[in-house]
Parts: sequence; structure tokens; C-alpha cells
Amino acid sequence: MSVNLEHTPNEAKLPATKLGKAKRPPGPWALTWRKFRRNPYAMIGLITLMIFVILAIFARLIAPFDPAKTDMMGAGIKPFVDGHILGTDELGRDIFSRLLYGSQVSLTVGFSVAAGAVIIGTLIGAISGYFGGWIDVIFMRAVDVMYSVPLLFLNILILAIFGSEFTYMILIMIFTSWMGVARLVRGTFLQLREMQYVEAAKAIGVSSWGIIFRHLLRNASFPIIVNATLMVGGAILAESGLSYLGLGIQPPDTSWGQMLSKAQEFMLIDPMQGVYPGLCIFIVVLAVNFIGDGIRDALDPRQKMHLSPRRLEQWRAKFSKSTK
Amino acid sequence: MARKILEVNQMTAGFLVNTDIVKATDRISFDLEKGQTLCIVGESGSGKSVTSLAVMRLIDYAGGMILEGDIKFNGEVLSTKSQEEMRKIRGNRIAMIFQDPMSSLNPVFMVGEQIAESLRLHQNKSDKEAMKAAVDLLRQVGIPSPEVRARQYPHELSGGMCQRVVIAIALACQPELLIADEPTTALDVTVQAQILDLLQQLKKNNDMSIIMITHDMGVAAEMADRIVVMYAGGIMEEGSVHEIFAKPSHPYTVGLLKSIPGFEDSHGEELYTIKGNIPRINELPTGCRFHPRCTHAMDICRKQEPGFFQLGQDHKAACWLYEEHGGDSIVSPAGAAIAHGEVRV
Amino acid sequence: MGEYIIRRTLQSVLVLFLITVFTFGLIHAAPGGPTQIFLSPGLSIEAGQIRAEQLGLDRPIPIQYFNWLGNIVTGDLGTTFKNNIPVGEILWPTVKNTIILMSVAWILSLIIAIPWGIYNSTKEYGVSDQTASFISYVGFAMPTFWFGIILQSFFSLKLDWLPLSDMYTMGKEGNMMDLIQHLVLPVSVLTLGFLAGYLKYSRASMLEVLEQDYIRTARAKGVKENKVVFRHALRNALIPVITLIGLDLSILVGGAALTEAVFNWPGMGRLFVEMANSREYSVLMAITLLSAVFVVIGNLVADILYAVVDPRVQLGKGGKA
Repeated sequence: MSVNLEHTPNEAKLPATKLGKAKRPPGPWALTWRKFRRNPYAMIGLITLMIFVILAIFARLIAPFDPAKTDMMGAGIKPFVDGHILGTDELGRDIFSRLLYGSQVSLTVGFSVAAGAVIIGTLIGAISGYFGGWIDVIFMRAVDVMYSVPLLFLNILILAIFGSEFTYMILIMIFTSWMGVARLVRGTFLQLREMQYVEAAKAIGVSSWGIIFRHLLRNASFPIIVNATLMVGGAILAESGLSYLGLGIQPPDTSWGQMLSKAQEFMLIDPMQGVYPGLCIFIVVLAVNFIGDGIRDALDPRQKMHLSPRRLEQWRAKFSKSTK
Repeated sequence: MARKILEVNQMTAGFLVNTDIVKATDRISFDLEKGQTLCIVGESGSGKSVTSLAVMRLIDYAGGMILEGDIKFNGEVLSTKSQEEMRKIRGNRIAMIFQDPMSSLNPVFMVGEQIAESLRLHQNKSDKEAMKAAVDLLRQVGIPSPEVRARQYPHELSGGMCQRVVIAIALACQPELLIADEPTTALDVTVQAQILDLLQQLKKNNDMSIIMITHDMGVAAEMADRIVVMYAGGIMEEGSVHEIFAKPSHPYTVGLLKSIPGFEDSHGEELYTIKGNIPRINELPTGCRFHPRCTHAMDICRKQEPGFFQLGQDHKAACWLYEEHGGDSIVSPAGAAIAHGEVRV
Repeated sequence: MGEYIIRRTLQSVLVLFLITVFTFGLIHAAPGGPTQIFLSPGLSIEAGQIRAEQLGLDRPIPIQYFNWLGNIVTGDLGTTFKNNIPVGEILWPTVKNTIILMSVAWILSLIIAIPWGIYNSTKEYGVSDQTASFISYVGFAMPTFWFGIILQSFFSLKLDWLPLSDMYTMGKEGNMMDLIQHLVLPVSVLTLGFLAGYLKYSRASMLEVLEQDYIRTARAKGVKENKVVFRHALRNALIPVITLIGLDLSILVGGAALTEAVFNWPGMGRLFVEMANSREYSVLMAITLLSAVFVVIGNLVADILYAVVDPRVQLGKGGKA
């Protein structure tokens, strides 16, 4: 017989705390934040998004003009004239004010669609993964069906049928974007269902729902968050696309995508009109994606250490200096 | 004195993690004589696998490097060779077997092809010759109907079969030195014994030297001529297999031996374990690296790192216990039973 | 393998059936149902009702559905509500135009992205890798139609190098050079979008393979580094990439509605938007079903490709290992 002397190294071991005080080690949230904070891209993304959120919340206070007020006499004013920071459009509406109000639409859509899709997707995925059987078959066939139609087509189709009132639009977009989360949660649950602590929880009489939401969800929460963050960006892009096609936000309400659709008509006269709203979408989505990637990298336990031979040589030189 | 095939001298190897250098071995030295088997034993995290990667210079591809010291193979310095020069030695004069045979084989190539590649590379054999030789090698490592097996993919073979294939790859060019990193850990107990027997037999037939990395004292007892005990990147004790098992001297070695079940005074009692965990090598304690877990720790152990004390002609330990009465073992010879064949491992 | 394909095909037919039920149900769940479009000004309520009766829209919904399904199975896509034009007559030319546009962009992006992504994985964080990473981020965050508008205003309006929109210049229909000129801008827009994903994916796939044990074994054998990458790693890294390509086959019909709208490309996506606005449900149903067929075929192709390139996978025998 041979013997295994392997001792599992204590992976959770952390730098010793001062004076041996029994301080609780930082939880997974704190650890993730610690790594996230050191990622410059993620932090830039977070700060940028914060700025946009603040601008959107206080749009009413900041906006110098009523975004819907047309003024045929003041159409096509150049930037920085008469208090119009970015000038006015072909109907004399203040572009800067419209952008501010547009940010409300984009961010509301982005966050509520992501939140709604996460809630529905999690529920369906959890039920499917936990109970299995025919419930699972039905839900997963539904996912297959939803995935078999290009999502843009599906959005267009439903918007065309039900109309594009703002709340409808959000509901419709939630309806067409919960599937990814559902699959993810279901997969995680299938893995976790077999684990010992779930058995243990069942044995001490915790109800099925109790197990799902207390034990299992805690384990699936990080991948869901990453997915949700990326979904915010996706929803903002989708809203802008739909509004551009004339199926989303309708005038007199304003959104970045809708502004672009108008701007294209006046491209010859004032090309900059088409630049600002697109740039806003681009920056916000980029910021959100940076945040999502930042969270994902912070959760990745693997250390990246691929280096070129030249860099390795530099480090070796530095090391031999430090030992002398 | 026999010719030294491998000399490792004051070698420190390390990795770059984020922006810190993390040492994995700390100025280790050992030799291997031609035709002998050296076992490096220790818990995981002791730096034994890194040592083998350093000898192969494969550590460069894992984001690490040899920071100081040197490695000599037949008198040639390996540690400063270019990868292109190393390439001609790897697989040809020094070969390596890895821990997990299933994942060590490329899933998209037939196993015969994976052996033949080595022969084409180093012996300029044609495709046909190499394939024929590959089949012969498969037969040598004890794979039944090798002609059929050579045309199968790794997933069609069992774990033990895969390890035989990995061994065949390693032996293809009749290397002078074979490094086996935990070659039996991933295998069933019965298969383990077969693989060890195979290695013994091949070593005899091919006049090879072997470095065997293992955490398993039983495997070491069966295979080794000499043993090096590593802990947290440093060598704790070194000696012939007889000396180590008859007179284990470093408290860590003693601990390793005592934690073998059914061994010595552990009868009917709870299995012995060494208290605590192996430290991370960048958080080493002051003094002796083992002292926080050592039952014999003295004041000096906490302050100053011990050098080696010679305990016999071919036996030394890095432990302050031997500063004065060099030579005598502090504990009853826990390993004597194994060394004398009373306990079959 | 044959048995597996038959089973998968049957499953696909089930999914397609469910899609038709789903879309049909959606359309009839619309407030007022599909007859709503006949209540437009210029058409009296009575006339609308007569037209609806002609189309069979007054019958119970399940009967309408099975009528429609029966027609579809025999290849009859129905006619438009308003002008009574056969749907196929409108649809097929746009399908062809979309496939022309998408296949050029798709193939181009694959040709660029896969070798580049793989190269980058061997030189992580080098200049080339950083450039590709930048392109990926931009591609993911940039609204495609905005990029299209910017390109138009620069290359067409300002520099006047390339045509602004459409597929052919008036009177030059069928002229190859003219088509290529018209393709440049929309293809650039679409390619950027595809590149973003494929660059990231092929790089990640290769990086994962390069960390595998068998790569270490190859190096331990003394295999040259470029052979380690291009012989031992590449084949393994391409397995998931090829599978993804199969899955993305549906891009050929599904992904271009916005780009087509920006460049006024007479494709299926633009047709879909137009028909959605005028609520021509027979056309919408046909396009939805057609794109679903492509998705389902794509999934099937992905599975078969997977089995072809990966010796570990044997279709029909316990699935994917």
C-alpha cells in the first residue's frame, strides 16, 4: 500500500492580522473589490459611469433648455452661441439638453432591462436546474425557441405588434434577454445540486426554496453579476438601435438612438450632430464593459504571468541586484 | 567514484507573480550519479516539481526562471543554455514523465504519432521508420497489441495505458536521464505498482539515471538509491535510502515517515500528522523554515537558519539538533522497518 | 452518426414548430389582432372586413394556424395583406442581397480574426495584442449604425470616395465593380462588429490550450516552439472556434437589420423593419421562420463540425466528452 502525505495547502490563508486579533478574513465581496480597485480600466469605467448616472439624475437641473422646445428661428446654431453648448439641431432644440435627457432613457433602459432579465432569468434557471424533470424540459425548450430567432428581429416584431411605449419597450427587451442568465443559473445549479451542503441542508429540513435562495444563489451570484453588467451595455446598444429604426422612443421624448436617426438626415449640413449621441452611447457602453471585465478578472483566481524572455531577463537582473 | 550525471548547485528558481518574485526553491544543491535513482520527497508546495521543471528548463515557459546557481548535466551547464540548445537535449538526452497521463497526451493525435514525433525530431527517422519504432516502444512498455493501440487516440486508452504511452515517449530516444514527476499519483493502486516495476526494469535495460519526484515515502522506499527531502523550497535532509529510513534525522523526515499508516508506533492509534501547513515561500518564518511545525524547536531555530550537519558518510540534515552530537539520530529509527523490508509498501 | 443527425433533425423540427406557434400566437395577441391594419384611413370598415374574410382572418385562430402551416410546408409563404403580392416574390431577392453582404463581411472577419487572435495569444500584451484588444473593445461598445453614419459622412459626403448607400447605382444593376464599391462601407461596419468577438474568442481559446499539460509534454519532447504552437496547440484551439463558426452561420441572415437600414441595403433585415412598420404579418412570419431555420441548421452544422475535428466526440455515443 502506498501512502499519501499530501497536505492540502490552506488556500484561504491570508496575511496575518495585527496582534493576532481574531479579525474575520475579508469575504469574497471584499476580496473582489480589492482586486477590482487595482484595475485602472475598471476604475475608469466605474467613474465614467458614475458621472453619466449623476448627469442623468440631475438632468432637469443641469439642462439649460427644454429639450423638446422647438425654435425655428434658432435652428442650426453653432456650438457656444447663445448658451447652446453644443448648438441646436434643425428644429432649434438644444443638443446638450437633449443629450442629457437622452442619458436618462439609455441608463434607465440599460439598468432596468439588465435587472429584469436577471430576476426572470435567475428564477427560471433556478427552478429549472433545481427541480429538473418536465419543468426543466419546458423552460429549456422555451430558451431554445427564443434563441432561434435573431434577437433584433424578435424585438422589432414585438415592438411592432405592441407599440413602443417606454415601459412596453423595457418589458419587451426583458422578455427577449433573460435566456442567457437562465442557462447560466441552471448550469450552476445542476453542479451545485450534487454538493454535500445541499444534502445537509435538506437533511436538517430546510425547504426546497430555502435551499435555492440561501445556499445555491450565493454561489451563482458572481457569474450572474458579470453577465448582468455586460447586459446593461447590450441593452443600451439595443435601445439605441431600435430607436434609430424608429421603433423605440418616439418624439417628443428623446433618446440617443433617436437623435442619431434624425442626424443622419442632416449629415450634410451638420455632421457633428451625428457625432455627439453616438459618442455618448459608445462611452457609456465602453465604461460598462470595462466594469464587467474588471469584475470578471477580479473573480479569476489564476494569476497572469506570461512574460517575454526580455522581461524575464530584466527581472532576473533586478533579483540578483537585490540579493547582493 | 561514479560519474556525476547531474549536479545542481545552489539553485534558486522563482516565478513572477504580479510584480513580486516568489521563490520556489531556495539555494538547493544535490547530485545524481550515473545509473542511480534519486527521489525528491516532500509535501505539495515544497518546490520539488519546480526543481524538475528547472532542470528541463521548462520553467521558462511557466512564467518562471532560474534566478541563481547552476545546473550541470554531464558537466555541461544547462542553466545558461538557450532554449534552442535545450531543445536538442530535451526528449533526447533528458526526458520527462508528468503526473497526469490523461492530460499529458495531445487529444487530437494518435498515440503512435506522438511517440514517433520524438524519433523524427532527434534521430531523423522517416515517418515510416519512426512509426515502426513507436510500435516497438509500445510493446516494450507492455502495451498489448501495440499495432492497434498506436493508431488509437488517448481518450480510447485507460489511465495506466496512457502513462505507459507517456513513458514510451520519454524513452523513445534512450535518454541518459529520466525525470518522473509523480508518475503514479493519478493512477489506481494496482496500476501504480505495475508502472513502478516497469520503470525499474527499463532503467536496468537502458542504463538510465532517474530523478523521481514524489510525495509518497512508500514509492521512494521502493525506487530510490538516494533521497532528498524538501520542505518549503529548501532541502531538509539528504542521504542514501538506507540511511534515511534507518536513521531519519530531520524532524520533518521523521514526521513524514510516522504519518505512514500501519507503521511503527502508530498501531491502533490515530494516524500521525504534522501539525500546521506548509508556509508560502514568500512568507517564510525566520530561522529554520520548519520550526513553527517542529516538535523539537529550540531558541536558535527561530533565529538562525541551520546549515547542513554531516551525520554519516552519505547523510546530512539541516537541523540545529545535530550541531553538537553530529551523527546520532534523535529518535528511534522509524524507517528501519521499511528499509529492512519488514513492511511492504 | 446518421442516426444522430436524424434525431437532431427531428428535434430541430420540433423547435421550428414551436417557433411558428410562438410567432403566430404573438401576432394574434396583438391588440386588435392582425386585422388591425385594415382599419386604416382610406379603407372602409366593410371593405376591410371583406378583405379579412378573403384572407381567412375571421376564422378561429387554430384553424388559421393550421392553414398557414399547411401552406408553409408546401412552400407557399402566403401573400401580403395590403397588395396581395406573393411573399416569396418580395422575400427571396432580399435574402440573396443579405447573404451577399453578410457572407463577404463574415468571411473577411474570420480570415482576419482567427490567425490574428491566435498570433496574439503567443505574444500576450505585445503591440499587436493590445491593438486587437482595443479593436475588440471598440467593436463591442460602438453602435454599428453610428459607425456606419460616421463612415458615410466621411468617406461619402466629405471625401466622395464611396457611394453613400444602396446596393447599385441607378442604371448599373448587376455591375460587379459597382457592387464592390457599394459593399465597402457596410462590410467595414459589419466586419468591425464580428472582429470584436472572433479576435477575443480565438485568442482565449489558444491561450487556454497553451496552458494544457500536453503542450508541456510537447516541449519536453524537444519540439520546436513554432511547431508547439502551430501543430500541437492550433488543432486543439480551433475545435471551439470551428464550433462557434457553425453556430454563427445564422448571422448570414439575422444580423444586419441596422446596417442595412443605415446603408439602405435592399436586404432581409431592412425588409423586416419595413414590414414591421406596415404590419405585414405574413412577411414577418416568413422571415422569422426562415431565420430560425438558419439558426437550427447552424447548430446542427456546429455539432457535426465538432465531431469531425475532435476525435473525442462521437456523435450519438454518449455525446460530448
